[in-house]
Amino acid sequence: MTADGADLAFLSARRIAALVREREVSPVEMTRLYLERIERLDSRLCAYITVVPEAALETARRAETAVMRGAPLGPLHGVPYAVKDQFDTAGVRTTSGSRIREDHVPTEDATTISRLNAAGGILLGKLNLTEFALGGTQQFPFGQPRNPWDLDHDPGGSSSGSGIAVAAGLCAASLGEDTGGSVRSPASFCGVVGLRPTWSRVSRHGSFPLSWSMDTPGPLARTVEDTAWLLQAIAGYDAKDPLSSRAPVPEYARTLGDGVRGLRIGIVRELTFGPETDAEVREAVIGAARCLERLGAVTEEVSLPLVPFAGAVFMALADSDGAGVHHRWLRTRAGDYDQGTRRRLLTASLIPAAIQQRAARVRALLRAEMRAALARHDLLLCPTAHQAAPPIAAARGAITGRHEVAGRFFTRRSYVTPAALAGLPAIAVPCGFTESGLPLSLQLIGRHFEEATVLRAAHAYERGSEWSRRRPPGTT
Amino acid sequence: MSDLTTEQVGALAAALGLPVTLDDLAEVTHRLNALIEALEPLAELALDTVEPVPGLGEPPGS
Repeated sequence: MTADGADLAFLSARRIAALVREREVSPVEMTRLYLERIERLDSRLCAYITVVPEAALETARRAETAVMRGAPLGPLHGVPYAVKDQFDTAGVRTTSGSRIREDHVPTEDATTISRLNAAGGILLGKLNLTEFALGGTQQFPFGQPRNPWDLDHDPGGSSSGSGIAVAAGLCAASLGEDTGGSVRSPASFCGVVGLRPTWSRVSRHGSFPLSWSMDTPGPLARTVEDTAWLLQAIAGYDAKDPLSSRAPVPEYARTLGDGVRGLRIGIVRELTFGPETDAEVREAVIGAARCLERLGAVTEEVSLPLVPFAGAVFMALADSDGAGVHHRWLRTRAGDYDQGTRRRLLTASLIPAAIQQRAARVRALLRAEMRAALARHDLLLCPTAHQAAPPIAAARGAITGRHEVAGRFFTRRSYVTPAALAGLPAIAVPCGFTESGLPLSLQLIGRHFEEATVLRAAHAYERGSEWSRRRPPGTT
Repeated sequence: MSDLTTEQVGALAAALGLPVTLDDLAEVTHRLNALIEALEPLAELALDTVEPVPGLGEPPGS
């Protein structure tokens, strides 16, 4: 190999697996490389809460032995990965980003972790997140996660560290969890790929819950192909999650290169052309749509009148579920929560039943609206976020009036929560940069269990653009 | 629905055994009023015949 360490660190997970298989690099070499980068770069990024160097190197040595013996190798054999600290890891503390769980050490792996390990992945550590995956954390108990493209800016959440670590080359790929955009938002702000699978496609067993009907583990990676391979590893029925789907899991990589010729793509008018969407975002997303047209897709505008309400509907429903999950700790350990988390959960505990049920009924209408649009189109297209990563300071401080609430909580969520409320698969793919150098992101939403179509279109776009080749400054 | 006051929100929280400090109370009241206000326009939709189910078990391709 002639590539330097940074070049190796930014290789795709699939390329690393191929090099390991061909004995061009060793799993131990790759693991040491990422551990050295974490040691050198993460003090300013705060992507990791816990790093497990000894365990990772031990797993890497076993992986190397398997290669040298000519043993059967999994699709991710020798690939160092990391996971949001919301997923249980046997013998490794799992904090959920909260002081309340800072000493919690599970005895069993989450199903997703077992499956990634069985595919040959090497766990490097546990990644930072907003407290209990809720969003709105004011003071992060394990350090303020920072956007690698500009340290003063928000990396997105709740899977903040999962986005940062992939963008900064601190792991080959990562796992996040998306209840209402928590995989896609950090992917968007950090300039990487993030996939929310269909709800129930991936087991939730061993993942700290927020909302039972929306929680969905999903991969973040530097390429669409990597997200396909990670999804392949974690998808499928799990007896430990009775709500996981028994629908067959297709071979996602098989159709990845099929292109978009003939695909019908609806551009969501309210999210792409609406007044809340920044001009730079709109321009980049329309540019991506034009690129897909040049590749053979047919696009047209589609109106989904209820999506501007999705953020508020989501918070009425998911936060109510969260208030139920947290009701004991809220009464006994309220002071151990971050102020932002506590106030959000207290609010959710007081939502009137009539409002909660109205939100549930509107959710059903929104789902019907999206299904109808997806009966006419293979995919829906819109921005992942209405703006590039805002300054961290913009979300700091107490709320002093109710008009601040919509701007800080509802608006941005209306871009990512429609897919969550409808249980649909959705992917965030880099589609440009602002003038100041912050990443922009395209979102593609597909029909239930049609991740293959979502991945295929995202892959075609990625190949037709150059955005995923850039690296954040200071990460060599 | 008219705005809830901090006194009403505080009383409701106390009745539920939720320890809301004075510092928390003002913001919780703003948040709750904002959520109710944001969902208010949706009361005009014909929702009575809509089942409030999350749509579990969606078949592939739907």
